[in-house]
Amino acid sequence: MFLDQALRLSSVLLASVSFVGLVLATYLPEWLMILTGLALTLALMQTSEFTVIQHVVTRIKLSTTTWNILVLIGFLVFWIDSLWISGDFLQAGIHFLLILMMVKLYNLERRRDYLHLYAISLVAILAAASLTADLWYLPIFLAYLFAGVWTLLLFQLTKNSEDAGGSVAGLRSLQERSEGHGRVTPQLFWMANGLAVMTFALTLVMFFAIPRVGAGFYQKSSGENIRTSGFSNTVDLGAIGPIKRDPSVVMRVELLGRSRREIERLYLRGIAFDRYDGKSWANQLSHRRVVSEDSPGTFTVRRSHSQEAPDLGSALRHNILLEPLDTPVLFAAPFAETITGRLPAVQADLTGALYLPFSSSTRMEYSAVSRSNPVLPADLQSQPVSYSEAFLKHFVQVPVQSDRITDLAREVVEGKHNTYEKAVAIQDHLSRNYRYSLDAPLAEQADPLEEFLFTRKTGYCEHYATAMVIMLRAIGIPARLVTGFLATEWNEYGNYYVVRQQDAHAWVEVHLPHSGWIMMDPTPASGESVGHAAAAWQTLGRMLDSVRLRWSRIFVQYSAVDQLAIVRGLQDGSVTARNRAKDSLTAFFEPLAAALGEAAGHLVSGNFWRLAAVIIFVLIASCLFVWLGRMRPWNRGYSKREVRREEPAITQLYKRMITFLGGRGLLKPATMAPLEFLRITEAQWAEATSLVAAITALYCRGRFGQQPVTQEEFRSAQANLRQLMVLERRE
Amino acid sequence: MINPTQSICSIQENISRVIKGKPLVIEMTVVALLARGHLLLEDVPGVGKTTLAHSLARSLDCSFKRIQFTSDLLPSDIVGVSIFNRQKQAFEFMPGPIFANVVLADEINRTTPKTQSSLLEAMSEAQISVDNQTYPLSQPFMVIATQNPAEYHGTFPLPESQLDRFLMRLRIGYPSLEEERKVLDRSPSLHPAEDLQPILTAQDVLDLQAQVDKVFVDESLTEYLLSIVQATRQSDLLSLGVSTRGALALNRAAKALALVRGRTYCLPDDIKELAPTVLSHRIMVTRMHGVRQQSFEQAERIIQDIVDSVPVPV
Repeated sequence: MFLDQALRLSSVLLASVSFVGLVLATYLPEWLMILTGLALTLALMQTSEFTVIQHVVTRIKLSTTTWNILVLIGFLVFWIDSLWISGDFLQAGIHFLLILMMVKLYNLERRRDYLHLYAISLVAILAAASLTADLWYLPIFLAYLFAGVWTLLLFQLTKNSEDAGGSVAGLRSLQERSEGHGRVTPQLFWMANGLAVMTFALTLVMFFAIPRVGAGFYQKSSGENIRTSGFSNTVDLGAIGPIKRDPSVVMRVELLGRSRREIERLYLRGIAFDRYDGKSWANQLSHRRVVSEDSPGTFTVRRSHSQEAPDLGSALRHNILLEPLDTPVLFAAPFAETITGRLPAVQADLTGALYLPFSSSTRMEYSAVSRSNPVLPADLQSQPVSYSEAFLKHFVQVPVQSDRITDLAREVVEGKHNTYEKAVAIQDHLSRNYRYSLDAPLAEQADPLEEFLFTRKTGYCEHYATAMVIMLRAIGIPARLVTGFLATEWNEYGNYYVVRQQDAHAWVEVHLPHSGWIMMDPTPASGESVGHAAAAWQTLGRMLDSVRLRWSRIFVQYSAVDQLAIVRGLQDGSVTARNRAKDSLTAFFEPLAAALGEAAGHLVSGNFWRLAAVIIFVLIASCLFVWLGRMRPWNRGYSKREVRREEPAITQLYKRMITFLGGRGLLKPATMAPLEFLRITEAQWAEATSLVAAITALYCRGRFGQQPVTQEEFRSAQANLRQLMVLERRE
Repeated sequence: MINPTQSICSIQENISRVIKGKPLVIEMTVVALLARGHLLLEDVPGVGKTTLAHSLARSLDCSFKRIQFTSDLLPSDIVGVSIFNRQKQAFEFMPGPIFANVVLADEINRTTPKTQSSLLEAMSEAQISVDNQTYPLSQPFMVIATQNPAEYHGTFPLPESQLDRFLMRLRIGYPSLEEERKVLDRSPSLHPAEDLQPILTAQDVLDLQAQVDKVFVDESLTEYLLSIVQATRQSDLLSLGVSTRGALALNRAAKALALVRGRTYCLPDDIKELAPTVLSHRIMVTRMHGVRQQSFEQAERIIQDIVDSVPVPV
């Protein structure tokens, strides 16, 4: 089989497959189905060797203009169809698509016609896919894939031996000349099928390997989460230190309804620890319970106490965009009341830490409402307090009773009467008398806390916080250590806090009998901003970061739910638009139709001459219309400039000849005129002169003479070029 | 209506009976005629300049006058003079030798600029003004001037304005040995051109000239022509580039050449081939080392170099 014939066959097959897909997917009117089926069958038979069919088809061949008019009519019918007959854009579109397919099937002359046919069949198969979810779609799709691979291969193969302007039919003579070339060889056959199978296999692999999630699954170097520390059930003292130099972004926090000035230091609470063994902290109350989901996506962690005490601190609403971390902890400002977001579930332990069921591998966005406990006036009076045994067991626990620490604590709180004042005194003592430094390898010491408190007097947040908790506990005040982040870096371009690994922080929560847990931070304020220098550089970085956030918001987190929402919206919109269009059209045409009917009745019943006058008027009007369309008096000024003829096929052929001769050593410089080049060819390759002369003459006439080259002349030029190549090979 | 290709061929053939071995020169002469242009033949004496002009004139059924330019020739000797007619008691214009279809201005650089410039109006407007009276010249009108480049004593080089009015400047050159022998073998005759039979009538020539106007020039070729002209204006070797009249002349000559070669459309080859002939006398070569370069060959070479540097449209 010749390549062009094979191309035609596979193209028609491609169209047929998509047609079958459509037929199976949706209801089509019988007449359209039969018509298209017939057209396809005819086209299929036409590609085969049935001379009778070919004869018939060439008989009924219509001109391009006729086809164009048919398409126009089809388009009009499409509108009528979509508004009145089927009343559905999609259905009407499919009908129109089939009509277009039929028109193109009998118009396969130029290469772009083939491309049109492919586009039509692609749209058809996609439409079928959108209309059905049945299993039979798989074999149809497979067939389409095979036909598609074949078609594209053949299309590419025939392209080389053909001119853009020439017709596919002109190819045959070339193939008949050179044997072996231009035929579908067994190698080609197996290669095409193999390619199709491979493509399908690859698609299958991708289909199963790529999960359909909204966010990019493979972002952050194939799923590797940011490694963080300090947020597991046991944390060694000094674990936060190493990450305090890591600038990678952990989360971004937007404040809702609050300006940045109100909250200078935004604490984001992670986990609280109750048990200290002298070297590491542990969370013994890590038993998690599932937080109830009030409404979809909203998790209430603790009930608002607003009814009991209206003067409780105002709520802080904030949005958090959490990067993938290796911990399931959910961060929020203390103390979170509700968490809202697209989260599978939220768990909480007894210390108020929040968790996801598993650590997320994608970026997550959630919003939280938090309210910190204010210090109630009741706690400012000195009263004896009694705690339950269980409570004390957890929050007044100290590892090994160290007298030095107890003595220090007593010394510091000398003269203070209530718990709050004592706590503040210890906090002030620590933040005033100790120096902040990240270079404090205290972890190796036998008793790092004593080392910090009495020997080095240098440390970082964890040491301060641990010291405070232990000192408080030594004098009987319940306290716990909290790890989290302290956001200080404000991005003024996107209006959010950027929280980095280096913002990891540890602080203290002290329990007051009436107020509950309140937050205290003994670490000196100068301490936590370590590397926030280089202003200009940072500005640029912040700008980029805000752009990145927007990108993530708008594109990366675009999910199937959003997609569905948009489709729904479009559907609703199209229904209303259709109804509106229908109404207005009906409103417009109804009186017109009535008037026309009336006028017609009047005319027929009235005298004959009036009818004739109307007919003559219509004729004249349509003549005028045609004249206007042909002459285009309105753009006469432009027409000259707009006539930009595309490069004639003969010029392309000539260029190919030049390239070919150039390959043989007969170079044509850009400044050489065609006849001049012909003389040079004459001198250097006498055998080829007549062929080159024939092509050159035709080229000169077609290119500079404004005389179109006929199809036969072009074919003969093609033949000349081939002979030239044969001549070269023979030498 | 005459067949253009055939008649052009026959006139060339006719002339070549006298001017042996110079088909290109004859072709150019016919091109100048069809393009309504005037011809400047510049060569050493005795290579057939006058004979060429003469045989062209003889091949056409037109009037032919010859003016031998000398240093004492006056304008009135060319255009004519008004003489008082006693009988009619009025001045009567006696037309000069310029009133002919083909005028041979022999050794044009021998006469004074005053006389030379009397040709100006005739050549560009094809009319003559004497005593506030304008007399149209008969059509077709063609001036064929000859000059001798080797001899400078007692000559007045043509002014640029007049040079620009010649469509092309041609050299004839010595014939080859073979051709020269043919010339010698020819039966002795005082004027070989006298034996020629006219091929075309004046009307035929006018028709052919009208045909030239209809020759199609593609837009890209106009661009090509203009870029050649532009290049002469920008060249460092030339102090004066080609004028717009020069561009027009090249365009017209290219059309005429296309018709002579039997085409109804121009090719880049036409323009490329004609450029040295049509443009080289319209330019001024930059003074090199204080010496004004006047040589014909050099100007032609520069134009040829420029043409060879302009890309041809494909």
